[in-house]
Amino acid sequence: MSNAARIRIYLTGVGGQGTLTATTLLARTALDQGLEVTSGEIHGMAQRGGVVESTILLGGWMSPKIGHGEADLILGFEPLETLRGMTHLAAGGSVLSNTEPLPPVGVSTGREAYPDMARIRAKVEGCAAHSWFLPCRTLGLQAGSVQAGNSVLLGAACATGLLPFGPDALEAAIRTHLAPKLMDMNLRAVELGVRAVTSAS
Amino acid sequence: MSESTAPSGVTPGARPVNPLLADEPGARRLLLGNEAIVRGALEAGVNLVACYPGTPSSEVPDTFRRIGGGGRYRLEYSVNEKVAMEVGAGSALAGAMTLVTMKHVGVNVAADPLLTMTYTGLPGGLVLLSADDPGCHASQNEQDNRTYARFAGMPCFEPATAQEAKDMTRDALLLARELEQPVLLRTTTRVNHLRGAVEFGPLGQPAPIVPFERNPRRFVPVPAVARVRHAELVRHLGVAREKAEHSPWNTVRGDGRFGVIASGISRAYLSDALHETGWGGRVKVLDLGMTWPLPEELLTDFLSECDAVLVLEELEPLLENDVRALVQRRGLPVAVSGKGGALTIYGEYSTQSVTQALADLLGETARLPMACDPETALPVRPPNLCPGCSHRALYYAVRKVFGDDAVYSSDIGCYTLGLLPPLRMADFLFCMGSSVSAGSGFATASGKPTLAFIGDSTFFHSGITGLVNAVFNKHDLIVVVLDNGTTAMTGHQPNPGVIQDVLGNACVHLDIEAVVRGCGVADVVKVRPFNVKSTMKALAEMKERSGVRVIIAEEPCVLYARRTLKKPRNQVAYVAEQSPSVADCLEHLACPAFFRDDTGIHVDENLCGGCMVCLQVADTIKARKRSDA
Repeated sequence: MSNAARIRIYLTGVGGQGTLTATTLLARTALDQGLEVTSGEIHGMAQRGGVVESTILLGGWMSPKIGHGEADLILGFEPLETLRGMTHLAAGGSVLSNTEPLPPVGVSTGREAYPDMARIRAKVEGCAAHSWFLPCRTLGLQAGSVQAGNSVLLGAACATGLLPFGPDALEAAIRTHLAPKLMDMNLRAVELGVRAVTSAS
Repeated sequence: MSESTAPSGVTPGARPVNPLLADEPGARRLLLGNEAIVRGALEAGVNLVACYPGTPSSEVPDTFRRIGGGGRYRLEYSVNEKVAMEVGAGSALAGAMTLVTMKHVGVNVAADPLLTMTYTGLPGGLVLLSADDPGCHASQNEQDNRTYARFAGMPCFEPATAQEAKDMTRDALLLARELEQPVLLRTTTRVNHLRGAVEFGPLGQPAPIVPFERNPRRFVPVPAVARVRHAELVRHLGVAREKAEHSPWNTVRGDGRFGVIASGISRAYLSDALHETGWGGRVKVLDLGMTWPLPEELLTDFLSECDAVLVLEELEPLLENDVRALVQRRGLPVAVSGKGGALTIYGEYSTQSVTQALADLLGETARLPMACDPETALPVRPPNLCPGCSHRALYYAVRKVFGDDAVYSSDIGCYTLGLLPPLRMADFLFCMGSSVSAGSGFATASGKPTLAFIGDSTFFHSGITGLVNAVFNKHDLIVVVLDNGTTAMTGHQPNPGVIQDVLGNACVHLDIEAVVRGCGVADVVKVRPFNVKSTMKALAEMKERSGVRVIIAEEPCVLYARRTLKKPRNQVAYVAEQSPSVADCLEHLACPAFFRDDTGIHVDENLCGGCMVCLQVADTIKARKRSDA
């Protein structure tokens, strides 16, 4: 077991998006790579369209919880939730975020205003050492479904070099752990995520 | 979502044997804490599982259900926790190794049989899983069920990792059988819902059934028997205390005159805090995994070697007070600290709160991480009733008919989410089943029109008793049974109201209307909430009458209809023309499938559940075929 890198990853999104499935896939990828993994999720009532937070801690952490200022990496599956989750970012931490909103009901009904992307980008860039923004829904649809957008973000994260494994490890985990009918679509999604990061840098 | 995820990502049916049922000692798999509990129970040889679902315990029975088990065990979704506890007790009396699962508040419901079965003992062995919820992630309170270990007299295990969840479940079941006494497996949300690598042990065979030997002087606790059995319970706890003294789950590590005694998930926060601060070499740690009865000799030895100790435990200062009492009794010169400052009696602990407490103990300054400023005035994202949810349709009709004149007594389920504006359909709530009885009391004292909302699973759980009482005592209220045909909030578990086709051969469907009439209610109406006009008409007629009136609002949960009943809704709503009625519909129905942009109000086709309630509210909303249908 390698304890070389102690990394804390905070994932946030909206109930129904499939972020917990994505979290489990990334955690399995790490375990398959021989890393110590602790992962956590908080949902309960959140499956009814609320915020869903999850965590992956690599390298020997015992607690599944990530507090304020403790995340080395934030994966935001929805831009408003990326913004809300920024307090979890550690000094020197990085952020990858979807850019395509899922408006909460208060925004849909016009009672509240969704923060514009410029404000979200400014906040993220002000706090994070590195940040990447991707249109996950669009890229997911390009790969085959909205849900595949989650694999776009995971692929991108693996391509940043911030994790102790690369996209090849994620692809191997997809082949091992996903149902055969979902495999090709998710592999395409990973590829799109990797390309988005490598073309940006 | 989580309930549909197969362990290890394996699609059910893709392999002949589910990995949880594979006899592969030494295999390492990433498991949810609740899946690890299932594996531990299988390794011990569990024969019977009885439960009532509730977050954060639900994945335990749901995993037993999903993997089938190939005849290794019987699984029962009981109608409530007291019943699950009693079915489990009977099963363990008959000699089966038994696991009973529920969330923390469920143990209150089950407390009556629990506090006597520790007197009689249970030869087959019974473990009660109590899944507590510090932080109230999905609960109405954050009570500390370690209290029940002390109250009922049960040995208690508290895992902190997925591996421990598996191993302690196994050990708890084996201890329960060895002692013939019920054992408490106490988890918290963080443990139930963490994932970690779990190394499997041998699967073995289901436990042999212990033959029942008639013994009324033990199993029928009339006063003369109960007196003797109480003394027996104390003796059993003495034996269990000896086990705790030598338990591999209670260990000492580290050096120094500063001690920390930690239990439950606090052990994880402590471990990470010591790693982060580098203070590990200056602190001696007593990890308590088997936390009741207290290993007093082990504790005394530990306390004797320390000048000061810090006790780490979430919620009540139970361990702290016990340690203080022990220190006083044995005259030990050690300073004890625990609750206070960052270590609160409410909410969860964290690595940071434990770091702060360690700093205070060691006379250090905690360097807590810097975080960027929180954003203010962000739109909130509360959980909401789904698009196409029949509860929204029913609530809309009730608000139209009763407005703010009536008082709304709510209950526990998805429909509690109707408390949010604009529906505002919950004025008070206590616990499962309280809508009917608390509504009865409120109506009597206030004289106000009172409606009680209760779901189908909750009705069977504990609504029936309140309904019988309301009839018997001539109360004056309208009970609305929101019958969506499943236990929606916790992930579509079976209940007696579920249709026979879904229940299969294992269970029998019960008709709610027949039960309501059988309880003596004469004024019963059935409505389909997606028909707004007829629902409002039925409500308006009931409003004019008095006594106990029951409306059964029947419409399947939209997610359940799609996933389980395989009823796709091929029609979706669309805004044919912007009009004041569309704005009015959005404001008063507040369906999350609606959104507003520069061109007006629209319906997101992907989100639309196809209930067509909005068509009945706004005349310029029309139906069309879903584009991919």
